[in-house]
Amino acid sequence: MIKNYKSVRRRRIFVSCLFFLSVSLTLSAQDLLVSGQVTDGQLPISGANVLIKNTTNGVVTDFDGRYTITARPTDTLQISYLGYTTLTIPINNHSTINVTLQEDATALGEVQINAGYYSTTDREKTGSIARITAKEIELQPVNNPLGAMQGYMSGVNIVQNTGVPGGGYDIQIRGKNFINGGTDPLFIVDGVPFSSQSLGATEVSGLILRGNISPLNSINPNDIESIEVLKDADATAIYGSRGANGVVLITSKKGIVGKTQLQIDFSNSLGQVSNFVELMNTEQYLEVRREGIINDGFEAYLDNPSFDFAWPDLKTWDQNRYTDWQKELIGGNAHRRNAQLRLSGGNPQTRYLISAAHQNESTVFPGKSNYKKTSVHNNINHHSQGGKFTINLSTIYTHEKNSLPQEDFSYSAYTLEPNAPKLYNEVGELNWENNSWDNPLASLLEEYRANINSLNANTYISYKLMPNLEFKSSLGFNSYRLDSFKTLPSSATNPALGFIPQNYSNLTTNASQRQSWIVEPQLQWKHQWKKIKLDILFGTTFQKETNKQLVQKGTGYPNNSLLRNLAAAEIVKVQRDMDGEYSYTAVFGRINLNLDERYILNLTGRRDGSSRFGPGRQFGNFGAVGIAWVFSEEDIFKNNTILSFGKFRASYGITGSDNIGDYKFLNTYNITGYDYDGTTALQPTGIFNPIFGWESNKKLETAIELALLKDRINLTTSWYRNKSSNQLIGIPLAATTGFSQLTGNFDATVENTGFEMDIQTVNLKTNYLKWSTSFNITLPENKLVKFDDLENSTFANRYVIGQPLTIVKLYHALGVNPETGIYQFKDYNGDGNISSLADRQWAKDLAPEFYGGFGNTLSYGNLTLNVFFQFKKQQAFNLMRFSTIPGYRRNAPVDLFDRWQQNGDIKAIQKSSGGFGMGVDTGSLQQDSSAAVSDASFIRLRNISLNYKVPQISNNLDINVYLQGQNLLTFTNYKGPDPEYPSYSRLPPLRQFTLGMKIAF
Amino acid sequence: MKIKHNRDIKFNKKLSMNMCNILNRWTLFFFVMFSLGCSEFVIVDAPKNLLTSDIVFKDKSTVESALANIYYKMREKGMVSGDFGLTTTMGTYSDELDYFGSDTEYQNLYHNNVMTNNTKILGWWNHAYNLVYSANDIIEGLENSETLSSSDKQIFLGQSLFVRAYIHYLLTNIFGDIPYITSTDYLENNKMSRMSISEVNSQIITDLVNATYFLKDINAIDGERVWPGYHAAMALLARMYLYNEQWELAASTATVLIDKYSLEEDVNDVFLKKSSETIWQLKPGEHPRNTQEANQLIIRNIPGQKYALSNSLLDDFEAGDLRYAKWVDSISDAENNITLYYANKYKANFGELESLEYSIIFRLAEQYLIRAEAMANLANKAAAQQDLNTIRNRAGLPPTPANTVNDLLDAILHERRVELFAEHGQRWLDLKRTGRTHETLKDLKPYWQTTDVHLPIPEAELELNRNLQPQNDGY
Repeated sequence: MIKNYKSVRRRRIFVSCLFFLSVSLTLSAQDLLVSGQVTDGQLPISGANVLIKNTTNGVVTDFDGRYTITARPTDTLQISYLGYTTLTIPINNHSTINVTLQEDATALGEVQINAGYYSTTDREKTGSIARITAKEIELQPVNNPLGAMQGYMSGVNIVQNTGVPGGGYDIQIRGKNFINGGTDPLFIVDGVPFSSQSLGATEVSGLILRGNISPLNSINPNDIESIEVLKDADATAIYGSRGANGVVLITSKKGIVGKTQLQIDFSNSLGQVSNFVELMNTEQYLEVRREGIINDGFEAYLDNPSFDFAWPDLKTWDQNRYTDWQKELIGGNAHRRNAQLRLSGGNPQTRYLISAAHQNESTVFPGKSNYKKTSVHNNINHHSQGGKFTINLSTIYTHEKNSLPQEDFSYSAYTLEPNAPKLYNEVGELNWENNSWDNPLASLLEEYRANINSLNANTYISYKLMPNLEFKSSLGFNSYRLDSFKTLPSSATNPALGFIPQNYSNLTTNASQRQSWIVEPQLQWKHQWKKIKLDILFGTTFQKETNKQLVQKGTGYPNNSLLRNLAAAEIVKVQRDMDGEYSYTAVFGRINLNLDERYILNLTGRRDGSSRFGPGRQFGNFGAVGIAWVFSEEDIFKNNTILSFGKFRASYGITGSDNIGDYKFLNTYNITGYDYDGTTALQPTGIFNPIFGWESNKKLETAIELALLKDRINLTTSWYRNKSSNQLIGIPLAATTGFSQLTGNFDATVENTGFEMDIQTVNLKTNYLKWSTSFNITLPENKLVKFDDLENSTFANRYVIGQPLTIVKLYHALGVNPETGIYQFKDYNGDGNISSLADRQWAKDLAPEFYGGFGNTLSYGNLTLNVFFQFKKQQAFNLMRFSTIPGYRRNAPVDLFDRWQQNGDIKAIQKSSGGFGMGVDTGSLQQDSSAAVSDASFIRLRNISLNYKVPQISNNLDINVYLQGQNLLTFTNYKGPDPEYPSYSRLPPLRQFTLGMKIAF
Repeated sequence: MKIKHNRDIKFNKKLSMNMCNILNRWTLFFFVMFSLGCSEFVIVDAPKNLLTSDIVFKDKSTVESALANIYYKMREKGMVSGDFGLTTTMGTYSDELDYFGSDTEYQNLYHNNVMTNNTKILGWWNHAYNLVYSANDIIEGLENSETLSSSDKQIFLGQSLFVRAYIHYLLTNIFGDIPYITSTDYLENNKMSRMSISEVNSQIITDLVNATYFLKDINAIDGERVWPGYHAAMALLARMYLYNEQWELAASTATVLIDKYSLEEDVNDVFLKKSSETIWQLKPGEHPRNTQEANQLIIRNIPGQKYALSNSLLDDFEAGDLRYAKWVDSISDAENNITLYYANKYKANFGELESLEYSIIFRLAEQYLIRAEAMANLANKAAAQQDLNTIRNRAGLPPTPANTVNDLLDAILHERRVELFAEHGQRWLDLKRTGRTHETLKDLKPYWQTTDVHLPIPEAELELNRNLQPQNDGY
């Protein structure tokens, strides 16, 4: 094969040499040297592209904005620079041409948008691509790129699922496509697919981060130039089988032509839990507690000292003590220090950027937990003289070190009895109060440590075989390594239990690694006839990914100080030793036809092969058609003073998903880390189904893009409909099959439709004052359209045809019976019994009704203010989901204090119970009822940022001082810790203030 | 102008012809690369932590590993385990144990007030059928294996049938009518209906008879008795015959075991790992090295107690019973406000660094009591008295005064209570099979209802498979 390749290349070089020789001979006779300077009216612009129109001959302006180029007297120069309107100037025999570029308010036509395998512009794109750039990202003091996207993009719903540093986010692009499958999109960082799957092991990080350690944390948001989200078929079909849930492209920063610049950025953040739940105080708590025990019929035992052990909170503990456990356990300040150093520069041929950042973040928990991240990002870009050969190297290396207690304290903070004893005794040891409680701070002695090293490297090379024909390839490599451990020392247990290191202390370690490489050779041919532009791309992909995980547990330690070392354990057991391999290959192509800048046709296609499918089923075909009509170019709009740009676009296509995990088609036994009587246990992995195949996701979109009043108002509205059928999902099985689910295709259709709108306006623009606004809104709708034999399937009690997948079926709560004082529910089938099967008929949809963001940027002189609001209308589980009956031995929201007490009381809360009551557990029914869902809509001041550019002290010094706030205010009726992620056991997202300074010279 | 235009066209033509050539070559190149690469590229090796099914059934040792998985899981979870097995739960559900912990689901079990969404019960159900699947998969894998010797196949087949029978025995005694699963076909098993208790019982007996046939040459008495063999299958079979009131068969089956095994003379030695009366026991892992039974049942601190022996059980011990002296212990709180009694059959707790005790599933004393009961029902009073007295004698008690069939049956039931307390819910099963649940529990358990004789089928499962409906009465 290699031999083949060489001979082909030799001939090609020969042919192209001949060709070029003939062309250059004809040109040399009439050469003219043109030079000049490019400015913005005041200052020179360095790095602007000066190109001879319709050729690839071009140069880039130097530090002083000067250029020199060889051209024919009849040629036309095309001068462009990011953010400025491109100018075309005929040479007309002039040898000096000075150019003044106008700043382009929206830069609609010029800003290159990364569409993955190709780039496009807002003007020419046929697909739906949302985008945020460093400009927005840098305003936000977040740790994870997904955090910076929250609220900024229509159709993209992102929810932070813990406030603990190093945790993750949930992302959904245009709704939930699959009945029982993931919603994660395909992430691509600098051309390299980036698996967002956590390698965390539940045994180690289950209690603190739910095992969910987001690999995206390893990308420093400050190193990102832009994030593009591909949404419709036109944009995603070129990613074929992996595009169903959308594609997120992350592009890192590149060097800028000009003098070497050093930028230093340091900031300090202060983070706090933004919302505390109002809980009962000691007096209230003890009152309902006592009343509950009496209600349960145990009054006689309350004064019998033999039963003191059953209710220490009422008998043996101090009755007047009060501790605000939220303040104690999650009420601390999380400090974050961030320092970044960036060196960049270069000449028109070679540009470079080196950036290093360090971040140190503590938590709101007691103790010395912290999260550290160090990242290095390099980018080198080189063009050969004449621009035929281009190489771009980009590497991101990140080291994360996370050191946390092994458990999130939030649940304890919400539920500890308000009169619970003090945490430490007089001598500073954990207080166990005579074995009457579980001291939450024992968790501080139980460590969780994680070390994460990740490397993302990509080399992109391109070579112009001919002026119109370019060979390019990306060669990417990604490595992610997670080493973590959790210790459970005997010192974290009550000494009365008699545990000693030898019989209790243990260490669990998780060493996981993922490596992948990708090669994507491509050929691109572009040609422009008079009014026709044709752009053809053809390429293949080879990708391999390997995963490894080794989970070990050591027990039998001689003492706790040796606990971190596995070698000191008497017994080391391998709990899991697994690896996996994923291979993926594809051919793909794109044909883009542009007629007269008015009619654009974009065809994309891909044939995919994935090792996740069984023999004979590995390949699938995907593709899309996109069209656009720039109607503002039509004669009737040509001289329209209102409409400056108008485009209608539509697309239709098919994408798929192979996001099901490896080896699911094989009938296998899993080698467990366990043994019986010395014989290793081999367990059946699951029910095997060799015949599952590709699922298909058909996407349709239409959109109108408008720019009004000289681009001062930009408006995009789109409507989409995604239909997912032949769903490849985990089908639930009855336990009698031996397992709970099976991977297979399921003949059901899910439809996601939605309406999205994005508006950007420039409201004011004077020399000193600028005011611009952005607004986006998404109205999604999800529906289960088809599901044959739903009533008899294992999904019968979960879904309803015609309703969203996001519904929950609940009991219909009818309030508290004024006579009996207990919760009542609607008995749908009238059998006198409230049963899950028959009476859980109240369906509520928990997906947002609409969501979006609203931002304003105001700049006055050197001062810039950004204010960004995020809003969402939705229903969510409320506090009733977590606590329904007052009187249990755990604290509860103060709402529960207003309870039914005697015959005739009309109350929302039933009578108290000490947890010893018998009969139907109405409390747990109430948790699963309509009363546990309520409005959780919110408007959140997601981000506010004030930047002051210090007036220039000297020419070479640029100083910016900024104050940023994240998650500052939330307007909501919701009573739980956080309306966005209703939970009672996870730390809600923090409110953060950041003060920082940027110096560049 | 026109001329130039023509030139352009020519130029373009020439260019596009060149282009075509080049494009063709490149296209060809890519296709060659792709077709060479792709079909093989997407075939990957199985990972090191997985063995494909056909490899498992090629070799004796891997099949043993598949069985080890079953016994490991039995020990760790589900109805057999000491952690949340029948020993504690059905002990509290009946009249053996009082529950002092704070877990609502356990409290509900103690108060015979089980909710249909009880996750512990769901766990039992899922765990049990997972083991049944594992057993059936081995049975089917053995059929297709060409490399295993027929004697090996017989042993594995016998063990798998025994496991299948044992798990279904537990299920039907807890839930009543249940599906009996004999294949791995998920399409069929996903829609399975419930079988009547008597159908399930006859299927259990069929499996056990087959198991004893395949295991007849396996003599487990020599080793640690930690793998079930012929005698484990016989022990369960004897119990099944007793439950089915097939008295002669029960007596003859128990006799096989009584002839082979011998009782420990000292009650202190009965639960040690080398006890001579153990028929089958589950060996603990390396850490902890002792039993969950000891860990769950022994009270080390008040407060902190979970299970204590009920007064009704304590009252049932006769004066001078060595089992009361050796198998029951007590503890008081610091202020001496309360004293609780607990089962102390297994004494080695988790902290013990040496392995002293294993979890015994079947032991010989039960077989004596099975034979005694069978003999009493066959009106062979002398034989019944003799077996009963063997057990009483060891406990330091005088011979039984009972000498009518009915008195004898009562005496045997009483003896079973004090001999087999806190062992796999035997008490509950005895009350149930003799129809005495209501009369015994109605005064002891305030929330007892006659329908509590079966636990509910987990609600989630009724939703997944509607053929399991209707729910048991009373839920």
